[in-house]
Amino acid sequence: MSDLEKKIDIGDGAAIPDPKDRGLFSAWWIALIGTISLLVFLPMFKPDPYGKVLLFIPDGILITFEVTILSISLALVIGLVTGLGRISTNRFFNLTASLYVEVVRGIPLLVQLFYIYFALGRFVLVPDLVAAVIAMSFCYGAYMGEVFRAGIKSIDFGQTEASLSLGFNQRQTMTYVILPQAWRTILPPVGNEFIALLKDTSLVSILAVSDILRRGREYASESFNYFETYTMIALVYLLITLILSKLISNMEHRLSYYERR
Amino acid sequence: MNAADPIIQIQNINKYFGSFKALDDVSLDVTVGEKVVVLGPSGSGKSTLLRAINKLETISSGSIIVDGHDLYDPAEDINRIRMELGMVFQSFNLFRHKTVLENLTLAPIKLKKMSKEEADQLALRLLDKVGIRDRAEHYPLQLSGGQQQRVAIARALAMEPKIMLFDEPTSALDPEMIGEVLEVMVTLAHEGMTMVVVTHEMGFAREVADQVVFMDEGAIVEMAAPDIFFDNPKYDRTKLFLEQIL
Repeated sequence: MSDLEKKIDIGDGAAIPDPKDRGLFSAWWIALIGTISLLVFLPMFKPDPYGKVLLFIPDGILITFEVTILSISLALVIGLVTGLGRISTNRFFNLTASLYVEVVRGIPLLVQLFYIYFALGRFVLVPDLVAAVIAMSFCYGAYMGEVFRAGIKSIDFGQTEASLSLGFNQRQTMTYVILPQAWRTILPPVGNEFIALLKDTSLVSILAVSDILRRGREYASESFNYFETYTMIALVYLLITLILSKLISNMEHRLSYYERR
Repeated sequence: MNAADPIIQIQNINKYFGSFKALDDVSLDVTVGEKVVVLGPSGSGKSTLLRAINKLETISSGSIIVDGHDLYDPAEDINRIRMELGMVFQSFNLFRHKTVLENLTLAPIKLKKMSKEEADQLALRLLDKVGIRDRAEHYPLQLSGGQQQRVAIARALAMEPKIMLFDEPTSALDPEMIGEVLEVMVTLAHEGMTMVVVTHEMGFAREVADQVVFMDEGAIVEMAAPDIFFDNPKYDRTKLFLEQIL
């Protein structure tokens, strides 16, 4: 990934509606209304199996959120440290961070997931959920590191010089001046990663974690209603990501307070 | 340190950017309360010299001593030395995510452990001084360039520095805003602040400078009091420069 532009909102997460983008905005509304309608009317007209699927998966939704939120929190911490490492002048710190990013980005998430899950399993007995969170955050920490690096580098160097000239050291400059501003720049890509991560948690269903997809598979293999089950699963994921992308868009607007004239 | 000793002692400094020599054996002393204005064509090394004084640029050889502290002595804490050196930049560099008031109070609160009330009072007094108190709650991007630069001066003053460094403070401003910034600088000069100013404002140099330093190609060509410098320059390069800009 080369240096990200000042504002990056093209990613694999979801299209985050920009209040100014009328086309995307109305597409968002159409998708939302369509999704909600299908989620309401399908079970209403055909409770078996559509309604039954919906009743079967709520605890899966909780697990999906649990994995997502735990993983993104850890990934943010790992990402911040990695991002700082990538811009550090300390050779060891820099090399370690870069190596981590290179290795993680070169291996498919599913392979990493298996690897960490079974590698961990050989030495320590960790609950499936914990293994899943460790694997997800290890992988997304590397992506997040690149986002942090680009966000920090996007802040004008004059801000750093002004801070240093007042007597702040490098660490204070980062904490008080650069990161608060970088946060605004990286929010869209972080939001994107958040949504991408939420979708990628469906991979953990292959481990023994009972997320939305796993609950769906359990239902489908009992009832043989594959088409209906996966229709509802897809709609539930879509509804969640639509709502999240709107929330992130609102948050982004709130964080831009100092750019409003 | 003797009271009569210069507060800034620059001795035989050289600075290379790769193979380009940005500073060529420059020596300069500044005494307490003195106002030194540095002039020169662009690329002459005047900004590099100024930035070397608070170590935003590191020099290749020579020595710089500020208020008795050797900038290149590993035992010295550069952050402490910088607290004594206020700096004003061409591009203002106000903290964009902080209000005007917070721009002024951040450093005193964090670095001098000043209470918020005390820092606010100090900040408001300084904003009054630069004539911009009514904008205390605004964000920098809501202000004009001239207003931003006056806030930047106040921000530097909030650390109560012994020396103020100005790096082309009016070069990024629209012509009608230059006056308001120079006015603040003149006031500061009359109050006895030690100042090193890199600028193209000849009127300012004439009015407040004790010493005018003319640089070209990284070296100091001529150094004189303003009346001598402007009316009776010794060197051809100085004469040529003055002809071009006056």
